[in-house]
Amino acid sequence: MRELEKIYNRIVQRVNINLRELNFDVTPFADQLIPPDQMTKFYAFYGITPDHPLDLHFHHSALAGSYFLGRCRVSNSLLYKSDIRGDELKREKQIFRFENFEIVLATDEMISIENSALVKTLVHNFSHDPETVEKFFIKDTLAMDYSNIHGAPSGGCFLGPFATVDLTTVRDCAIGCYSYVQAGEISHMNIAPGTIWVNSPGNFNFLYTYPEQPLAQYVSLSPEYVPWGILFDFIEEHKDAFQRVFDFVNLDAIESIPNTASLDHFAVVLPRTKIEDNVLVAQRAYIENSTLGRGANAQENCFIINSHLEGLNVTAHGAKIVNANMGRGIFTGFNSFLFGKPESRLTVGKGSIIMPHTIIDINEPLTVPEDHLVWGLVRNGNELAENSIPLEELTKVKSSFSRGRLHFEGKGDLFVKTFQDRIHHILEANGAFYEDGKNAGHAQRNQNLSLNTIQPFHFGEKKGMYPDIQIRP
Amino acid sequence: MKNCLVKDLMIPISEYATVTLGTSLTDAVLALEKAQNAFTSSKYQHRAILVLDHDGSVVGKVGQLCALQAIEPEYNFNDKIEEIKKYNFSEEYLVRLRERYRSEETVLETDHLQDIAEKKVEEFMQKPRPGEFVAENGTIDTAIHRLVSGRHQSLLVTRQKRIIGILRMADVFAAVSHEIHNLAD
Repeated sequence: MRELEKIYNRIVQRVNINLRELNFDVTPFADQLIPPDQMTKFYAFYGITPDHPLDLHFHHSALAGSYFLGRCRVSNSLLYKSDIRGDELKREKQIFRFENFEIVLATDEMISIENSALVKTLVHNFSHDPETVEKFFIKDTLAMDYSNIHGAPSGGCFLGPFATVDLTTVRDCAIGCYSYVQAGEISHMNIAPGTIWVNSPGNFNFLYTYPEQPLAQYVSLSPEYVPWGILFDFIEEHKDAFQRVFDFVNLDAIESIPNTASLDHFAVVLPRTKIEDNVLVAQRAYIENSTLGRGANAQENCFIINSHLEGLNVTAHGAKIVNANMGRGIFTGFNSFLFGKPESRLTVGKGSIIMPHTIIDINEPLTVPEDHLVWGLVRNGNELAENSIPLEELTKVKSSFSRGRLHFEGKGDLFVKTFQDRIHHILEANGAFYEDGKNAGHAQRNQNLSLNTIQPFHFGEKKGMYPDIQIRP
Repeated sequence: MKNCLVKDLMIPISEYATVTLGTSLTDAVLALEKAQNAFTSSKYQHRAILVLDHDGSVVGKVGQLCALQAIEPEYNFNDKIEEIKKYNFSEEYLVRLRERYRSEETVLETDHLQDIAEKKVEEFMQKPRPGEFVAENGTIDTAIHRLVSGRHQSLLVTRQKRIIGILRMADVFAAVSHEIHNLAD
């Protein structure tokens, strides 16, 4: 047996051991998840920038098509087309505040991936766990296609396709496909597919669960088949466009981008696209025939097609916006799928918040009024009425409300404020407010990024594996 | 109290209302009602009926709550509530949610009662649980501890492995109360 398969089997066993209490067996999902032949086809690459430490250590791992930035350790792991973005990690001597604690970092924070398999997974942000401030760990974890591990140390976990764990320490949990969890700390939970859960204990608790059958049309996972659904089909249809950017290490720079904006080398930008000041387009983003107004951003695995984004729009990791007019300051959460049609466009009013993992799939024009919160599955006006609320009305909720499949308990004003503060922070971090040399963020700093590639063994027992490499200045 | 034993306060099975396995819900409810209306040596009514197997051994009991649970429709929302419980909602919220779901379901109807009338007692009886037994020669102190720690309404009294009677909480309380009166005097 080749080294690649040995290590893969070991990872699967480790994950299963951690999930034994849930009686959750990842073996059928892991089978064929990473075809060994694919592991030699793609090089890995890493960024060098003056703004983040260059400190990479790869040990006994395969890294095909994956990207690394900042301080990362990868050991006994398989990564396939994953993005390990360490550009928001905490730095030495920085103070991390948690409740009444002020924790001073002894060293620069590091992303540590051990005994894990990540497929087309995004790892970003930093550890929010006060018990592990210097190490954002991912251990004994299997993450499937288009999952996001965002500021979420994870041990002994399974993430189904399009699952997101956000600002949460996750131990021994199975997160179903298209589920989004932001809950501080969870353990030994089996989260059903299509569960959207945002919990801040003592403050608010938001829970929406997708209806099983309609969700299955978009994302499905079963032990018998490879994952399928409209979301996979959508990505597959646009796959070829990425071939060009990954085939060449040094592409010609695309012109007509303002000096204050950043277009990643590994993003696809197709004609009739207009990019204004302070815009950030991250790697693996796809932009076609669209306008990104001042300070808008498109993060990893985003698709923005035939759409107009007014400005200061956050399009979070994996969100897709098609045939839509998006007003100013709209947040579109992780992995949301806003799918208007040429003859039935989606219009979203300014200041609205599209919750993570929202699906709006319409065959008639639809308008989300300004300053609304939208969640769940919306296919027409009736479903929009059931799955949205004016932010002003939500701020008046003092104890609880439920609507359709949504359960909300806690203080509505805190929920809205927390989201708005976070949106502001994301814009700030991305350099949306850059002016006259001040307030620089990723959009400006990434312009100083250069890329290097590393290659796997193409022969022998170690075929597909990468040599042990330590990269430091 | 020190010299008082469980067997001094228990009601022998022969004096207790019983039904056998295979009894229908209707007959069990009627037997329970009859038992509660009947005169007993104690001023307290029988709160439950015992279920005997074909050898006459006690295999379960049926109280009012148990009977009502059997009569209540199997609400579809119970699973939903159990699932939501995982997600850190307060008990207060869950109570409100349960009430909301229940109000959306059909209330008890004649058709439903007819449908469940033939339900067999073994489908809804409460089977004896560990900690629900006490030996006939056990002390009342032991019995009190088991009633309190297990939140039981009664205990099954055993002679070796066979259940021979019932020790009801009401009778134990009456005995304790009597003792306190004596001390006060």
